[in-house]
Amino acid sequence: MSLQDKYKTLIDAAHQSGIADLQVREQDNVLYIDGSAPSASVKDKLWDVYNQVDPDYKSGDLVLNVNATAATGSKAKVTTNSTNLNIRKGPGTDQEIIGKAAHDEVITILSAPNDQWSLIKTDKGEEGYVYTQYLTPQ
Amino acid sequence: MKKRNFLLFIPALFIVAFSFSSCKGKDKKETDATTETTTAIDTPAVTTTAPVMVNDDEALRKGVTDATKDYPGVKAEVSDSVIVLSGEIKRADWKKLNPTLNSLHPKRIKSDDLTIK
Repeated sequence: MSLQDKYKTLIDAAHQSGIADLQVREQDNVLYIDGSAPSASVKDKLWDVYNQVDPDYKSGDLVLNVNATAATGSKAKVTTNSTNLNIRKGPGTDQEIIGKAAHDEVITILSAPNDQWSLIKTDKGEEGYVYTQYLTPQ
Repeated sequence: MKKRNFLLFIPALFIVAFSFSSCKGKDKKETDATTETTTAIDTPAVTTTAPVMVNDDEALRKGVTDATKDYPGVKAEVSDSVIVLSGEIKRADWKKLNPTLNSLHPKRIKSDDLTIK
């Protein structure tokens, strides 16, 4: 069975979900699915389908890079486990911490310089970069 | 005079009927061809041939360090653009961490030695 056959339900779901710039490629026995999801819920749905085909994503034969980029000016909630989220001067953990956003605090997304980091602003006026993994678009 | 006109009318009627029948057949063929073309266009191109962009080890190590810093039970190594994970992680945390690791553009993610609790 080819990888595209194995992940057919996931590929079909990606097509049906309106993923922009969708690319499905196979290289060196790994399937790469890239694109931009219209919302975080669509991205989560694709990861659920992936988990159904390959429980706990253990096979290591797929790289699913579908991002749900929040629009500039949109709101997002800080979804750390319980701690505050560091606000940094630049996009990287080697950058100086210049503030904190509280757990469950709602912040404004100003831009996303890459897939991992977002430039945000809190209601208190603090502005800097946070790790996008800990933000859930509202 | 009337009889002559009638005799001319009958062959003319046959010609018109024959022409109409021929045009109808041609129209059908063209319609079928159009339908086939439309079907082909509507079929989505699933596979593209553009090369896959993979980050080098240095960029991946930085991204992996950022991504895993809040998961002390996870050990991550990067070699030849492959992320190799070991240790243990809660299933809910793995569902958060794995999409981030996938977005770093690795060649592959190996989690055989990662225990998911």
